[in-house]
Amino acid sequence: MSVEKPSGSLAPVDWQQRKWSRADAKHLLWRTQFGASAEQIARTHTDGSAKSLERLFSLQPESTAFVAADELLRRAAMDTDSPASLKAWWLHRLFHSANPLPEKMALFWHNHFATSIAKVRSASAMAAQNDLCRREALGSFRRLLHGMTQDGAMLVWLDGNANRRRHANENFAREIMELFALGEGHYSEKDIKEAARAFTGWHVREGQFWFNRDQHDFGIKTVFGKMGDFDGSAVVDLCLAQKACPRFLATKLLRAFVLPQPAEAIVAAVAARVRAHDFAMGEVLRELLASELFHSDEARGALIKSPIELALGALRALEGQPNLRAVHAVTTLLGQDIFQPPTVKGWEGGRLWITSASLLQRANFAATLTGSNQLGAINAPEISARKTDTTPAQIVAHYTDLLLARPPAPETRQRLESYAAASTGETAERIRGLLHLIMAMPEFQLM
Amino acid sequence: MKTDTVRLALSSRRTFLGGMGAAGVLALGALPPLFLARAAEQNKTNRDGKILVLLQLAGGNDGLNTVIPHANAEYYRQRPSLAVGKGAVLKLNDELGLHPQLAGIKSLHDDGMLSIIQGVGYPNPNRSHFRSMDIWHSARPDEEITRDGWMGRAMDAASEQLAGRVPALALGTDRLPLALVANRVTVPTVKSLKDYQLSEGKGNAKDQQRRRKLIAELAQTPAKGTSDLDFLRRTAVTAIQTADKIAATTANYKPAKPYPQTGLGQRLQTLTQLITADIGPQVYFVSLDGFDTHSDQAGAHNALLGELGGAVQAFFADLKAHGLAERVLLATFSEFGRRVKENGSLGTDHGAASQIFLVSAGLKATIHGKHPDMHDLDEGDLKHHTDFRQVYATLLEQWLGWPSQPALLGKFAQLKLS
Repeated sequence: MSVEKPSGSLAPVDWQQRKWSRADAKHLLWRTQFGASAEQIARTHTDGSAKSLERLFSLQPESTAFVAADELLRRAAMDTDSPASLKAWWLHRLFHSANPLPEKMALFWHNHFATSIAKVRSASAMAAQNDLCRREALGSFRRLLHGMTQDGAMLVWLDGNANRRRHANENFAREIMELFALGEGHYSEKDIKEAARAFTGWHVREGQFWFNRDQHDFGIKTVFGKMGDFDGSAVVDLCLAQKACPRFLATKLLRAFVLPQPAEAIVAAVAARVRAHDFAMGEVLRELLASELFHSDEARGALIKSPIELALGALRALEGQPNLRAVHAVTTLLGQDIFQPPTVKGWEGGRLWITSASLLQRANFAATLTGSNQLGAINAPEISARKTDTTPAQIVAHYTDLLLARPPAPETRQRLESYAAASTGETAERIRGLLHLIMAMPEFQLM
Repeated sequence: MKTDTVRLALSSRRTFLGGMGAAGVLALGALPPLFLARAAEQNKTNRDGKILVLLQLAGGNDGLNTVIPHANAEYYRQRPSLAVGKGAVLKLNDELGLHPQLAGIKSLHDDGMLSIIQGVGYPNPNRSHFRSMDIWHSARPDEEITRDGWMGRAMDAASEQLAGRVPALALGTDRLPLALVANRVTVPTVKSLKDYQLSEGKGNAKDQQRRRKLIAELAQTPAKGTSDLDFLRRTAVTAIQTADKIAATTANYKPAKPYPQTGLGQRLQTLTQLITADIGPQVYFVSLDGFDTHSDQAGAHNALLGELGGAVQAFFADLKAHGLAERVLLATFSEFGRRVKENGSLGTDHGAASQIFLVSAGLKATIHGKHPDMHDLDEGDLKHHTDFRQVYATLLEQWLGWPSQPALLGKFAQLKLS
């Protein structure tokens, strides 16, 4: 299938015309993985945009150590059926996988199809759903949506078994339209009632999808003005054919990867790309990440980090080895407990991550990370090895460049420099204090 | 360049704020001096003013099984499995009674502290949790993108009166409820008092102190960036000030009687602690979640109503002991009631009109309005006769003494509170 190239602000940046900078490399990495170390930024800067995107979008071999740890953690989660172990398993992948973008997109889909282990109560069912999110992470939303409607965990989550012939339960049909495919306002109450009939008998048995023929309503239904003896699959296809569907996905993708409040025209343009690529979301994302829009000044530092982006990102930037249980605890405190989203709407993100309480906790996270090894040892040798004759200004410049999406305001820089100059004790301790300050700043919450 | 940024932000304010639960545009480029002046003034309190506690019952409480029309045959016909037997209902009068798990609320009724507003809702009810909750919070049923809340706008309009006080506080919620999102004032969200502190980190005491001070100063240092950066800086300033205040309040509060060991019980106890510490807010927001009872409703609903009744009863007993029962009014709300007819899985689906409880010793206890007609339904749901914005107008004007029109963007007929 040939697809026309995107144009306007979605057109790719011409790197012959514009210089690929370190800041561009850092921007790309923070948006496509969880934070970036100085070394990764340097390599991505050297590689340039095209090569870096190729690396992000092609499957990289995992190390033997990673594979061994991954298998061990997963088996522990399965054998103990423990939510905490399951969460540790995924956090390990999110941080250590050689394929960070598929993991990040799997998290994006987990949020989109927000399902909670609190109700599903099965580590294996949650892991199976997670595998589906990962398999289609950069794949087809069409397959993903079809897969989700027959996913064991999802059917438990949305009361599939309660949906029976003559006793239709609307929960499943409603959420498919409102939260998974179309968004509120793009369907009628009648559509929901009729679609619920199409999903009757879509049950779950021993953790697996099971078509309970006796409980399926084979009658004629009317959905979006179309009549037929629809079943669940047919309703999914009808949803995918709606105009609202690509728009809904475009908005979510833009908010997660580019801008918090994309203009109407941008949403429409990205929606057109979703349709042009027939829901091949990896293709759409790849175009987005190469676009003028993504590399515009407006998009730089425009997103508020999620708790996982904040915690794992800080650990990555400071070359720490995360303590998975402790990282899980802190991200939960900050409002993002993976495998356990608060509602079927998932984490709405953006400003909704931030309350005065969570902002205090974000600052306290910086204090814990720099003041102890509780969350994982950050690279203190690297810090203390820095030449003692380095000036406070150089140290501040180094770490603000590493940690902040945009250069700090001059007054902020001066305050940090005078703190660094006046602090006392071992160099490593003084730098840890400075890192605490930088990461407690409102600026560090942005990427 | 800078002025351009500011102009741009102003002209597209709607886009910036849309749907994001924004706390507003007080500062676009830099924090204006006025804000700092106000911040310095924030020792002001609310020593004698009225206090409103908004208690959200999230998920859609089944109003029909909360205030029960026990003399109505249609109720028993539509709810063959879920109806509460006539003998078990805690009777308020010949027609109405409370669910048996609401003994706590019944005792408040017997003490003359309970009012019930029946049949509350809004035109063209929306059955999506999120949308309907947005409507209750924003009080703008016709706006697709809601950027501030009814109480937020009320606080904006009353901001002169508030004179720099922390006007409201959300307790125990993961996020700032849309109802409290304002454009001129910033509202703190406190998950728990224990966690609401700024940690100093490690190192020598002098550096610790300097960092503590610098964290607050850096949050106020002018910076160029997106409107989200301004939002973050404003929130940080409010957070640090409120944390200082909470830390400074003496811990001499003791509950008069133990509260139930439930989530809501503990939240309401913390709330009493904050109210007695007199740190300023006139409006508090708390939530009790889990009312979305699509299947096997009875067990879950019993537990939730038990938690509600026990906690609210203990709350008012404690307030009374502290001489505050007349100053505090607690109002419940939920995004919708549930369908009259039970579904096939021993539960109920999303419905429409429901009731609001008002509890205070400073009110004339009464039942406002009739129970909605069980035979005259809208797509299987109860019809409302009282718009929820009428209730809001009543609470704002008659309880808080704040103008309701700027909050509700229109004039709504009020009920008589006293």
